[in-house]
Amino acid sequence: MSTAAGPGDRPRPGLRILAANRWSILVLPAAVFLAVFFLAPLALMSLRSVTDPAGAGLSNYEKFFAQEAYLRVLTNTFWIAVISTVTCLVVGYPFAYLMTIVPGRVAGLLLIAVLLPFWSSLLVRTFAWQVILRDTGIINRFLIDLGLISEPLTLIRTTVGVILGMSHILLPFMVLPIYAVMRRIDPEFGRAAANLGASPASAFLRVFVPLSLPGVVAGCLLVFVLALGFYITPALLGGLRDQMISQLIVQQIQQRLDWGFGTAMSVLLMAITLVILFIASRAVRLRDVFGSAVED
Amino acid sequence: MRRWTAIPAVIAMTAIVATCTGGGAATGSASAPSPAGSVGAGTSAAPPASGDTTSAACNPPRQEGVTLTFVSFGGVYQEAQRKGWLEPYTALTGVQFTEDENSSNATIKAQVEAGQVTWDVVDVGNDFGLDANADLLEALDFSLIPRDELNEDLGISDYRIPDITYGVVLGYNTEATAGKVPEGWADYFDTAKIPGKRGAWDYSEGGMFEFALMADGVAPADLYPLDLPRATAKLNTIKDDIVFWGSGAESQELIGSGEVAMTMIWNGRAWSAKNIDNKPVEIQWNQQIVTADYLVVPKGSPNKDAAMKFIAYTACAANNAKPSELIPYGPTNKNSQPNPDMVNDLSVTNADENSAYFDDAYLIENFAEIDAAWLAWKTQ
Repeated sequence: MSTAAGPGDRPRPGLRILAANRWSILVLPAAVFLAVFFLAPLALMSLRSVTDPAGAGLSNYEKFFAQEAYLRVLTNTFWIAVISTVTCLVVGYPFAYLMTIVPGRVAGLLLIAVLLPFWSSLLVRTFAWQVILRDTGIINRFLIDLGLISEPLTLIRTTVGVILGMSHILLPFMVLPIYAVMRRIDPEFGRAAANLGASPASAFLRVFVPLSLPGVVAGCLLVFVLALGFYITPALLGGLRDQMISQLIVQQIQQRLDWGFGTAMSVLLMAITLVILFIASRAVRLRDVFGSAVED
Repeated sequence: MRRWTAIPAVIAMTAIVATCTGGGAATGSASAPSPAGSVGAGTSAAPPASGDTTSAACNPPRQEGVTLTFVSFGGVYQEAQRKGWLEPYTALTGVQFTEDENSSNATIKAQVEAGQVTWDVVDVGNDFGLDANADLLEALDFSLIPRDELNEDLGISDYRIPDITYGVVLGYNTEATAGKVPEGWADYFDTAKIPGKRGAWDYSEGGMFEFALMADGVAPADLYPLDLPRATAKLNTIKDDIVFWGSGAESQELIGSGEVAMTMIWNGRAWSAKNIDNKPVEIQWNQQIVTADYLVVPKGSPNKDAAMKFIAYTACAANNAKPSELIPYGPTNKNSQPNPDMVNDLSVTNADENSAYFDDAYLIENFAEIDAAWLAWKTQ
């Protein structure tokens, strides 16, 4: 590459691309890393789902769809992911909005509050929820001591427990992208709307909310995709029916050594996730969504 | 096309984030000492018993410069194996040990497939080491190992021998049962007689199908092949009262706190709840399942011969019961004398005609069907 243009040189036409993208060489390490440690294993794994046992073809996939129970778990996985996402949105959107309207120092404290979960392990947080939610836990003790209830409420080992635990862990992934987008919305827009006769509520709903949508979509996608892969939280906080597909995959890989079947389930989960991303990409421009979220 | 460039970025971000938060946390939840053995393994290769085999097993030669990698499940369990077997063996033979505490069938498979075997002697659960895993394991050297002295109810194969026994038992919290003593699995399923939640391991082949059938009147000897419809029907009678646990620690906590009045539990965990945590927990040994953990040698182990000698040493009657100095896990050698202080807390010493044994060969062969039935029952 001795042809790199010196400072002040006007690149000849053939070199324009190279000159324009000279810095693109910096992504090379990342690209190589991803190719070797992510794409190649992913390809090998996908291959395994149709070659293990020898000559498997689609038999691993047929095995999955032949069992109604597996389909129930798959449906359940998506259902739990959807509810977690909605919960995170309902909690996260007002929170992010609050962060944008309070003074900088308070916003910093709120940010720390959101990031705090990042600083302790998922397992510890999930066990903490167990301590809080169980029959002999803090909530039930408190309510019983107050005389409000006589029998403990069933909080742990229910879908509610799973949603609580998962939403707590996933909340930062909702709040941060939304906050990043909201922060860049010019407050002048709101004043302009008020000038033109909009009430505060209608200025918020018709100007601010639409402008914040890219953040909302980014947050929802992140939370949803992450939620699909959870298994520790549902295993510890969920009941009999709160089984998620990752738990099945772990069992096949680690205990049963049926790697063909385990990888088939993984590929299936990934394929469905990609389909969802594809549909989302039709609805909104992902590039805008993640460009704006990542930039800030 | 441009919008698609964002997708790999999302996937990559997700992968990275998942690694940091969600993904990696499951290690160790499902793979505590898992249940163990029974009849049905091939017995063809057993050499004739002789005093020579026994003495060869108990008196290994000096082997300076040898290092074996020993892998088990960590904690007090591995500590008991270390104190009982590894340290005396080092003193006797000069063999040094490197240890891992994360025994896993999947790791053995990965090592063998990659041709990078670093584990020499691995302690595994009863779901591994039969002929189905022949391509992952070295055949054991039964010219050294005293096979005929080992408890034949425990599913010995050409590739594994049982090293310690334990019981899957009915544990109960005497406060939660208000002093009532459950007499067997029928009482576990009778919430009218003794109210309270019931704990169970969330694993299809952990014993719950067997216990449901025994509660329904099936004799231990007639458990296999499992009558799955009958078992699930019985389980349905207390479905809303069942609390699942995923690890031994969790079961110990559940029964110790009294959150469940009764639970299926590994006898070592019930023992710890009572003797270490000082909780009002007792064991009903009636209708227990006696099972074991096993020693195997991954195929391609660079120290295969030294591994065989060490396994033979652990099976020798004089050494086999040594871990019971520390934990209530009993010997597999019929001639081995357990620690007198622990003898009443061992699964093998409490075994009687009502005790059952897992049929590992059947369970491994029919896993897909049994697990699907379990999942269908749970999620219905």
